[in-house]
Amino acid sequence: MATRIQFENSCEAGVFSKLTNAYCLVAIGGSENFYSAFEAELSDVIPVVKTSIAGTRIIGRLCAGNKNGLLLPHTTTDQELQHLRNSLPDQVVVQRIDERLSALGNCVACNDHVALTHPDLDKETEELIADVLGVEVFRQTIAGNILVGSYCALSNRGGLVHPHTSIEDLDELSTLLQVPLVAGTVNRGSEVIAAGMTVNDWTAFCGSDTTATELSVIESVFKLREEAQPSSIVDEMRKSLIDSYV
Amino acid sequence: MGQRGRPAKRRRLSRLPPLLLAFSPFARSILFARSAAPNSTAPDPSPSSKTTEVGFADPKPPKAIKRIESSEDEEDQEVEMVQADFEFFDPKPGDFHGVKLLLQNYLDNKPWDLGGFVDLILEQITVGTVVKSGAQDEEEEGDDDGRDDDEGLYAVISALNLGRYADHRCIKELKQFLLDVCSDDSARKKLKLLLEKEASEVGLLVSQRFVNCPYQLVPPLYDALFDEVSWATEDEPTQELRDSFRFKYYILVTRIFEKKTVNQCKAKQSQNCDEPVIYIKSEDQIFYELKNYKEMGLVMVVKADDVPKVREKLKSLVAES
Repeated sequence: MATRIQFENSCEAGVFSKLTNAYCLVAIGGSENFYSAFEAELSDVIPVVKTSIAGTRIIGRLCAGNKNGLLLPHTTTDQELQHLRNSLPDQVVVQRIDERLSALGNCVACNDHVALTHPDLDKETEELIADVLGVEVFRQTIAGNILVGSYCALSNRGGLVHPHTSIEDLDELSTLLQVPLVAGTVNRGSEVIAAGMTVNDWTAFCGSDTTATELSVIESVFKLREEAQPSSIVDEMRKSLIDSYV
Repeated sequence: MGQRGRPAKRRRLSRLPPLLLAFSPFARSILFARSAAPNSTAPDPSPSSKTTEVGFADPKPPKAIKRIESSEDEEDQEVEMVQADFEFFDPKPGDFHGVKLLLQNYLDNKPWDLGGFVDLILEQITVGTVVKSGAQDEEEEGDDDGRDDDEGLYAVISALNLGRYADHRCIKELKQFLLDVCSDDSARKKLKLLLEKEASEVGLLVSQRFVNCPYQLVPPLYDALFDEVSWATEDEPTQELRDSFRFKYYILVTRIFEKKTVNQCKAKQSQNCDEPVIYIKSEDQIFYELKNYKEMGLVMVVKADDVPKVREKLKSLVAES
């Protein structure tokens, strides 16, 4: 199920949180509504950890992770690193890496099996990503944008990419990632997908400006609905779109 | 009756005279220093004499002057005149993100239905104006047209009838916020009266612009709004709508800087408080030492009859600055 949330009047849910299959990171300082939205959905299944990274609240854009590990930029403080190591499950490897491009969330889009990275990432960083996150790494661009982590939201069951991605690019990426991809928007037309939403295998959180159409596309591509038939989106939307038959 | 033949999309080119527009942080700090210069040089007419008296004179003024002089030297070489065109448009749905960005702090960080509020402003095409950059026509990229509009939004102004929109969640939340935040009991009673019983005669004047927006934009912006309100009282299709624009009062919610030592500054502050809101927004020219001031919200109620006076004062303010 996809939920709409907002962080202090900002609809950028993917900036202030990071959701994976094994844990969820949430920025500190927002109202309790933000935190409790996550708790309500996730608290019995995975830990929801309040944290900051490098003293900032934009944690979703600074770190990259999946169920196997979490990569943090070099600007992360020692206390934050320790706090994360203590709060996350033991099987999650928390690693701080020395990379010039410190907004790892913007440079890396990953699920539990495969990762797309910024073309200019260091070779060592690429190897670390493959090691710590246990993924196969591909250097790619999305619709000509090098910040793949910003313009793509990825889970193990589907992906949503920048609306201007061409069909050929969609096919190519879909083959690489081995999941169905859809080009769409979030937060009422925003193209920065990963900033507007965060997703894992069974739930998604989108900004409060997300329209009902965008939400149904998200639920469909990430297979968040109970009956995840491809035709169900057409049938259900038909009822709401068509008023009467002439 | 009432057909003025107004084109649907009214564009007013506000050609600004070439003036130093501070679009870079360096230029802004030079402007600041330059405008600060008259005050700091006044008490110290002979800098050279002071510098020779080591340890006697207050070292601050001569240093300040020296800094400004050197920056003025740099200024002569590095100053750039930037021509900018601003265009006024009727609000349209594509402006959603731009207007939302401008109104982010409207109710101080309280989480409320800002999206709904922005929708109300954008639906009211007859009264309301957005200001965009005039350079758009040259950047005609087919796909990016819509996006350029969003990013180029510099200012928004509108007037919403509180009674007409009273059922919307955002207006209810706004009214609740204003009543909660009011510290003075008697003022709160009057405000409650305005917001509830007399809501159909009260207009919420929403005016917001980017921080460094050139001041020359402001009088035409307010002129546009008040003209549109008076046109709407004649042009709207139904009698109900026409009446909804006959405002008796305007409510403005804005930000001011108030000196922390309230008593001392009350006299000075009340001057600023009595004037309409735009003076407050231009306080950057007036207050230098921000550390003595704290930021506060201000809610003001203005009688609609005073509007012509406001327009005149606006024009004179720009003329003298």
